Amino acid sequence: MKMLSRLAEGWVSAGGAAPEPLHLAHPADFDRAVAAFARAEVVLLGMPLYTDAMPGLVMAFIEALAPRVAVAAAGGRNPVLAFLVQSGFPEALHSRPLERFLEKLARRLGSPYAGTIVRGGGEALRMRPDASSQRLWAQLRTLGGQLARDRRFGAPELKAIAGIERFSPVTGALLSVAFRLPLAQFPWNRQLKQNGAWDRRFAAPYRCNGSTPGEPVPDPRR
Amino acid sequence: MRITILNGEPDPGSSFHRYVHELAVGLADPGHRVLTLDLGGLDLKGCSGCFGCWVKTPGRCVKGDDSGRVCAAVMEADLLVAASRVTMGFTSSRLKRAADQMIPLVHPYLEWEGGEVHHRPRYSNYPGFALVLGPGSGADAEDLEISAGLWMRLARNLKFRPVLTAVADRSAVEVALAILAAA
Repeated sequence: MKMLSRLAEGWVSAGGAAPEPLHLAHPADFDRAVAAFARAEVVLLGMPLYTDAMPGLVMAFIEALAPRVAVAAAGGRNPVLAFLVQSGFPEALHSRPLERFLEKLARRLGSPYAGTIVRGGGEALRMRPDASSQRLWAQLRTLGGQLARDRRFGAPELKAIAGIERFSPVTGALLSVAFRLPLAQFPWNRQLKQNGAWDRRFAAPYRCNGSTPGEPVPDPRR
Repeated sequence: MRITILNGEPDPGSSFHRYVHELAVGLADPGHRVLTLDLGGLDLKGCSGCFGCWVKTPGRCVKGDDSGRVCAAVMEADLLVAASRVTMGFTSSRLKRAADQMIPLVHPYLEWEGGEVHHRPRYSNYPGFALVLGPGSGADAEDLEISAGLWMRLARNLKFRPVLTAVADRSAVEVALAILAAA
């Protein structure tokens, strides 16, 4: 939501009308979003990357748009489509297959495609204070302004906000060490301790084929 | 071999639903044990990104719905088969909802694996993974390719060993034999 809010700020400051935010997770908003799609000029669909693709809830919304394919085929109009995909992984590459799906979705609906904002490191963003993300907020405001003015995102700005596409092997070697350090796991470990679940952090509750039931993977730090 | 089929077809009266059950018969025929979960009949509340399965009840979803049954069936299997028609360019939202609730099968902790950052495994063994795509109305070759690509990314991140992607444009028995040959 923080990222969408900054996009909306950029949109409004560039002269766009106040956007109507709808949360698909709220049942009433889900139905309103399907109806709003038909009358909107521009739709920005924001989502986290869930198991390497769109969340099931977002796919349910896309399924509900199926009648709009026929509308477009009959010469009707569908809105400009823009997307935001936020991932917990640091590299942008994880979101690229979904980006391809989203571009095809716009074509399927006969919608002008404004582009997909891909941004990694989402969990770190959630845990950091807002003030430390000023550069990202400025990038999002710029993209929001572009969408309001041009009905599409600028390619250089999309590339800049995506950040690291893929780490080099050298960086990867450093990361493989860093990921074993307690500091890298601190945000999760803090929550585990707060919830009294620290002792069960390596729990493996389901019977695992070919191994002892519940056999966990050993902690490499031990 | 133990085989779990996740049937993502929500309409029990559809021809694809029947196809999936014929597939189950085909997979079981050579003496394998097959469990078919019709996801349309399960209580799957969906993932809301609360991460409770990582930081409150490690390894289990906190929602107390049927996602625990899905995860148990996945982990008990030697081979996991996900089956769905492709509609609006991807597999059903029902199947994706079930997949979203599989994140307790891995850790929140990250690792460097195969040149990319991924989650660390929670288990020492994971099943092989086959995908069966039903070419729904309006689905073209690009849709099938995109769907397969997304699911193979998912399989990699959830530590499933990719086995095969098959299109249900031939008999269920033929697809079953192809899956077993590749597994």
